[in-house]
Amino acid sequence: MKGFRDAVWLPPLLSFLGLTLALEVWLWFADIPSYLLPRPAEVFTALYTEGADLTRAILRTSLAASTGLLVSVIIGVAAAIGLSINDWLRRAFYPYAVFFQTVPIIAIAPLLVIWLGYGLKTIIAVSFIVSVFPIIANTLSGLLSTDPALRDLFRLHRAGTLTTLVKLRIPAALPQFLTGLRIASGLAVIGAIVGEFVADDYRGGGGIGTVVMVAIKELNTPKVFAAVFMAALLGLVFFALVNLLGRLTRRHWHIAETRE
Amino acid sequence: MKNVANPGECSRSPIPSPAAVGAGNGVAVSLRGLGRRFGPTPVIAGLDLEIPAGQFLALLGPSGCGKTTVLRLIAGLDVPDQGRIGLGEDGRALAYVFQDPCLLPWRRVLDNVALPLELEGVPKAERLSRAHDLLDTVGLGEALDLYPDQLSGGMRMRVSLARALVTRPRLLLLDEPFAALDEFTRQYLDEHLQGLFLDHGMTVVFVTHSMAEAVFLADRVVMLAPRGAGVILDHPVDLSRPRDGPCRVSTAFLAHIQRLSAALIPSQEALAGSGRARIIEV
Amino acid sequence: MPINPGREIRLLRLLFTLLLLCFLPILPPLMAGCSGEQGQGPAGASAPVLQQTALQLNWVPEPEFGGYYAARETGAFAAEGLEVDIRPGGAQSPVEQMVAAGQVEFGITSADSLLMARDRGVDLVAIYAGYQSFPEGIMVHASRGLKSLAEVFKGGTLAVIPGTPFLKLLDREYGLGRMKVVPHDNNIAPFLQDPLMAQQCFVSSEPIVARHAGANPQVFMLSDIGFNPYTGVVFTRRQTLEAHPERVRTLVRAVRRGWQAYLADPEPANRLMHTLNPTMAATTFAEASLIQAPLIRGGLADDQLGTMTLERWRNLAELLQGLGIIQGIDPDQAFVNP
Repeated sequence: MKGFRDAVWLPPLLSFLGLTLALEVWLWFADIPSYLLPRPAEVFTALYTEGADLTRAILRTSLAASTGLLVSVIIGVAAAIGLSINDWLRRAFYPYAVFFQTVPIIAIAPLLVIWLGYGLKTIIAVSFIVSVFPIIANTLSGLLSTDPALRDLFRLHRAGTLTTLVKLRIPAALPQFLTGLRIASGLAVIGAIVGEFVADDYRGGGGIGTVVMVAIKELNTPKVFAAVFMAALLGLVFFALVNLLGRLTRRHWHIAETRE
Repeated sequence: MKNVANPGECSRSPIPSPAAVGAGNGVAVSLRGLGRRFGPTPVIAGLDLEIPAGQFLALLGPSGCGKTTVLRLIAGLDVPDQGRIGLGEDGRALAYVFQDPCLLPWRRVLDNVALPLELEGVPKAERLSRAHDLLDTVGLGEALDLYPDQLSGGMRMRVSLARALVTRPRLLLLDEPFAALDEFTRQYLDEHLQGLFLDHGMTVVFVTHSMAEAVFLADRVVMLAPRGAGVILDHPVDLSRPRDGPCRVSTAFLAHIQRLSAALIPSQEALAGSGRARIIEV
Repeated sequence: MPINPGREIRLLRLLFTLLLLCFLPILPPLMAGCSGEQGQGPAGASAPVLQQTALQLNWVPEPEFGGYYAARETGAFAAEGLEVDIRPGGAQSPVEQMVAAGQVEFGITSADSLLMARDRGVDLVAIYAGYQSFPEGIMVHASRGLKSLAEVFKGGTLAVIPGTPFLKLLDREYGLGRMKVVPHDNNIAPFLQDPLMAQQCFVSSEPIVARHAGANPQVFMLSDIGFNPYTGVVFTRRQTLEAHPERVRTLVRAVRRGWQAYLADPEPANRLMHTLNPTMAATTFAEASLIQAPLIRGGLADDQLGTMTLERWRNLAELLQGLGIIQGIDPDQAFVNP
């Protein structure tokens, strides 16, 4: 059974089960009311009884988050490539990219509602704003840090800027891009949830963010925790997918990559 | 062209004339009054050097004497502050081998070797076929579908050499290409490079730290002194080709090494003192 | 650390862990005690001693809380031997949880939220009703020429705080199938921009802001369609009710006097609240207190201000149960008129 013991998912699963059990036991004896801190058993019950609503909601949020992430990738990579071509362009426009990182999204989101209206497109916009900067920053860093010897090689053979970009700098920047994507994926989920707080069209129940808000208002704390758990799970799934993507594309890259 | 009279013994021979080695394949290089500085200190100053077509020239010297700078200037990767570089006829067919094999990790070996042809717009079928041929020449014909990280250091350097030769260059510049490899691989690759030189006949400028390597490979060794102090020795190597392993420990070989070492001492004194180095010719 | 600890050591470790686990249940009550109940007056002094307590508001200081500030300013609290710390709240203040956890003795909420909390097993009790009539409605643009609430839901966008109980009522009565239902932010801009926007509003708040911004709002009151919970309700835990009945009585008396004073002349309390909440203009304070006055009084005489009837609570409980918002109902346990 050596293979089983070495499985990557085993330690975190065990620690999760252990902590949950400990929490359950402690809360069983402690006198904390359910609406303040529900027992894990109550949260799992809520996951089961509200399963349909939670699943519908999380799927809706995943749609917004994945679209937001996709837009971030497209615009982020394009921006990084643009910024990498010209020194002056980079100095002139990089600060605007930083703006995406530092702007308090809670303040911007209502403005987005005014400009874009309510509904999925605004939620995607929030998800994009929150997740685009890591992609720009990391991809740009990768594009700028190409091995100078390789760049010399291309120059020697009189390769143009575009050729060097496409055949050398972009492939060389892939590991850094993936790092940025990993960070951005979690942020895209958070952005989608924050976007829902402000802009969700929730007649059919809304996304997981709205479900959290409604459950809070209804003092249904087990459901709040269940919804938060689903949101965290979504973040984990995104993370795992990006890692998988990394593994697939890095087949013949440097051998000494750390496993996550 | 092996010297049968004394197998295993490098004999002196007249300096092999480039014409005898298929010199039609090389270009002449001429450096006049070449100067380059980085910051306040000059790395090279007032350097004059004439390299005839088809010659194998070794540039020797301690760190900081500007040998890599000279190489980059010849290659056009850097621009001199003073002086001129002339490449006989059209110096276009030029290849450069770096100290690191510098292969693109995301491409197969075959595509790596074909890269210079790809950048020059050669059609796919032709460039892959020429690359394959060159890989055969360096003994890696079987490895064409492998990726760089699946090769050893020595194999990667051979791929790098193959890539350098795929454009049929008339000037081959190498910057301490084997410095990072172990002694055995190094000697093996030295012999390999000699073979390629004898087959193609291009002009070669080979930068190295190692006197033994310089003597083994070159027709002529030029030693540079640090801080732009210029050429301290310009020494022809009159050993017959092809030179082999046992040749490295022959008397004639060692005599050349002694000559080179002797030239070092005054330059070291010059380093310590303030005197200018003198040019010594044999 | 030995690779194979001896049996005695393992036994000791097990005992220690069990001991530790036994002590853990003590921690939460200890922690609750620390953030603790107020209300213990300082022991035996010769001067009249004021009992200290606190009242947690569920929004920022606005005319809806005028009576409490008036009670403090006119000395009504002090006259009853109380010193009340009035704590402003904000968006999503968890007032029910704070009172239930013992962090504060008294809080303000609405009757529907109170019943929802009771349904979750939190034994909270209402003691005074600030508003006799539900002050919330649906605000639309008058230019649409809508004659009734039913016409509102023919199309457009409805902005309501997610989880608001009357949303389910509106869906049942009128059907929201043709509406976009979006979150209600504290932001008048979407309403101003969209002529087809219908939004939840507090009658003495959003319509005034909208008018000042140049719009012409029309409000359909939800009390007109039978959703009429007591609002601005002062409540506490049953524990407090049973342990300090006199304090509860005196508080309610003082609050009643405060509201009487405020309804007679809102100006002094408004001035005070304006300093605490400068974002609201003084004129808006005045307008709002005027509009809300009849909803607060609800036709009751001064000495009956704030009292509640079982019939109102029962109607509300049955309505909420019918909508599936609460399971069980015990309206008589939900309030007292001390």
